[in-house]
Amino acid sequence: MLRCFVRKLSCFLISTVIIGSAALLLTAQEPDTTPPPVKTPEPAAGAGNGPHPGPAQTPSDKRSGPSERSQKFFGLAPPPDPAAVDRGQKLFVANCAFCHGSSATGGNSGPNLVRSVLVLHDEGKGTEIGPVILNGRVEKGMPKFAFTEAQIKDVAAFLLNRSQATVDRNSYKTININTGDAKAGEAYFQTRCASCHSGTGDLAHVASKYEPEGLLGRILYPSSHDRDRRSSGVQDPKAVSTVTVTSPVGQTTSGRLEYIDDFTVSLIDSSGEHHSWSREEPGLKVDVQDPLKAHQELLEQYTDADMHNVLAYLETLK
Amino acid sequence: MKLLRLSLLFGICCLLGAQELDPKKLLSPPTDTWATFHGDYSGRRHSPLKQINSENVQNLGLAWVYRASGGDNPAFGTSIKATPLQVNGVLYFALPDYAYAVDARNGRELWTYKWESQGGIHIGNRGVGIYGNWLFFETPDNHLISLEKDTGKLRWSVEIADVKQQYFSTPAPVIIGNHVLVGTGGDSLDVPGFLEARDPETGVVQWRWNSEPRPGEPGAESWPNEDAMSHGGGMTWMPGTYDPELNTIYWGTGNPNPVHAGQGRKGDNLWTCSIVALNPDNGKMKWYYQVSPHDTHDWDAVQTPVLIDGEFQGKPRKMLAQASRNGYFFLLDRVTGEHLLTVPFIKTNWTKGLNAKGVPIPDPAKEPKTDGTLVSPAAGGATNWPTPSFDPQTGLFFVNTSYSYSVYYLTDTDEKAQGYGGRDSGVWSQVALKAIDYKTGQARWTHEYPGQSGSVASILTTAGNLLFTGDPRRNLIAYDPASGKILWHVGLLSAVSNGPITYELDGRQYLVVGAGDMFYAFTLPQQSTTKTTEQAAR
Repeated sequence: MLRCFVRKLSCFLISTVIIGSAALLLTAQEPDTTPPPVKTPEPAAGAGNGPHPGPAQTPSDKRSGPSERSQKFFGLAPPPDPAAVDRGQKLFVANCAFCHGSSATGGNSGPNLVRSVLVLHDEGKGTEIGPVILNGRVEKGMPKFAFTEAQIKDVAAFLLNRSQATVDRNSYKTININTGDAKAGEAYFQTRCASCHSGTGDLAHVASKYEPEGLLGRILYPSSHDRDRRSSGVQDPKAVSTVTVTSPVGQTTSGRLEYIDDFTVSLIDSSGEHHSWSREEPGLKVDVQDPLKAHQELLEQYTDADMHNVLAYLETLK
Repeated sequence: MKLLRLSLLFGICCLLGAQELDPKKLLSPPTDTWATFHGDYSGRRHSPLKQINSENVQNLGLAWVYRASGGDNPAFGTSIKATPLQVNGVLYFALPDYAYAVDARNGRELWTYKWESQGGIHIGNRGVGIYGNWLFFETPDNHLISLEKDTGKLRWSVEIADVKQQYFSTPAPVIIGNHVLVGTGGDSLDVPGFLEARDPETGVVQWRWNSEPRPGEPGAESWPNEDAMSHGGGMTWMPGTYDPELNTIYWGTGNPNPVHAGQGRKGDNLWTCSIVALNPDNGKMKWYYQVSPHDTHDWDAVQTPVLIDGEFQGKPRKMLAQASRNGYFFLLDRVTGEHLLTVPFIKTNWTKGLNAKGVPIPDPAKEPKTDGTLVSPAAGGATNWPTPSFDPQTGLFFVNTSYSYSVYYLTDTDEKAQGYGGRDSGVWSQVALKAIDYKTGQARWTHEYPGQSGSVASILTTAGNLLFTGDPRRNLIAYDPASGKILWHVGLLSAVSNGPITYELDGRQYLVVGAGDMFYAFTLPQQSTTKTTEQAAR
């Protein structure tokens, strides 16, 4: 029983991560109008609404580099060895940070190196930045540094890690989103949410199941925005739309809404059987019951404070 | 025999000569040719053809299908986003790194060309431009490639931007006179945007317009410093439009950079998220209109600036309309840039109203926050690059829209934030087709698609009282543009992914639409085309 629950939960969470990371990728410069066939992409490490990703990180804490998926998406060079990045960072902080800033984004006297054209063409190899380190740029006030070849490569690895961490927006982590007032949140919950939910019932211990960003996403709209995923059976059954179809002669069939567009509708009935209809049939009645309607309506009503307060309240339900 | 050979030779010569794209085709609404990304320069995507019309569209049948080979694209799959050009019976289009020629009568592939890529984001390609016998397309690693259009042979390639700085190029080049207009994209590393005119013979730069002013120039006051201004984004990743009478091009520019972190670039950030009017011969700006000052939501303003000629408040006007990614419909006088109308086409919650020039005033409370702010529309926008259409017969501007919410997070609080500096987390969306009366900005009708997910599709209208577009599922649908009534549909293998086109060849009208890696061509059965012709003759 427990195992079954755990499996369902992890299945749901994985799907949330995939949807979350896909959504992230797709809100790039343009949405991909036709995503490739779903072939269970590797979710970007820690991206999206995953469970317990560990302490919040800013990009500058990240060492492991972009995921394979992000590498493909952005067309990035293979990420540098994390050990070299670490060594390079120590060298950089000790020797370069005074002018270029500790995260290489520039200081009072040295330029930003993360988006420097020369550094971007170096791509972690050390061949472009090596001569600049060894010879300095005396006319611009940069002294020479007697680095070994290995040290130059380590600094190059650190700089490549910095630019890749900037490029790979899927790796960006939120800082602290649990900023609301739990008491005010509980009051809001009692007036707006309690007709369907309870902190001691369906939402008991909810804060121990999801990290805050995932929980906020679920407060706003529990099953993400892709309804196709609902038919894959990994969604919370409470979030699934049902439909009743009445034929022209008055025969009714009800079940879980499997698919709907302007032309067809299909459902899975309680025995698991699939039914579908042409909606162009005169006299056919289709009545969809969407249990998430109330969530949708609240989107137009929430203030950001309401949203953060409800989150703060649910965060007390450990 | 000799005579036969001679006449054959003559025939071939004539044929070859006749293969050139007649530049006049660019200046008139599309009938036997689809000469540029939008069909003509107006951006209306409206064809005067009416063999296929609201009376017979239910008889429309499949003429051929074509599957694009190649396009090995592990991160994105193969999705035809290009609007194909149709010149002398041949369709020309592109995918990232690939160009193709396909027989427009039967879908047979004539040639393919593959560019060996040095990288770049392979998210899509909008298509090709044709000048005479030469074809031009852009690549993810920012090369402008010129091919012989009849053979697919490489003439030359030139680099237009640096892929190592995360530029990547998706636009279809636009040919105006002897200018090949090329834009570019990329907002991962805070690079400046630009639009260039290149010489069709050599690829050499004729002029370059920069999306940001230089220090001391007008507009520089909208940036806090030179560093922010020179890393300010404003990409030119969609083809613009052109008014030959005014000799003016109209281009939309993308969001400023860093994308979601605005703290290091206080000010309006000109000329990002703007519609700019330029002289195509020298790139000099005539006027600009910024639709999203100081954008922090990734709402590029690259949506087609559609040219409308008609009445406004009782006076004839040359106008320009954009349904912008930020959720507002804008109508401008395209001679002067004077503002005529600003009306939201979805519910938005990010402004404190409009200023005297109709420009939305961003509400600082709705800029991305470390703990998140709930905003409509989502970063994907109230609409996006899929093209709208203007139908002169009904006076309606059609656009597929997404009423959508995201939580926007600021993840980089540094004064010197970089790249995106934040992100959005999608919450919910509802896709709908809207028919907007350009004179009021109000929707005459709205068709909400059942279910609440999916992307928006491009639109074509025709004088046959038809509107063609895709739904967020896999249907290609024909509507009555006046009423929004659905007249015909067909289920494809994937959702419509490009701008549908239409053309007439040998007296038959074709409708061609891209969906995923496929093109589908539809036409009427021979019998009903004959009937229509007879009826027309009477």
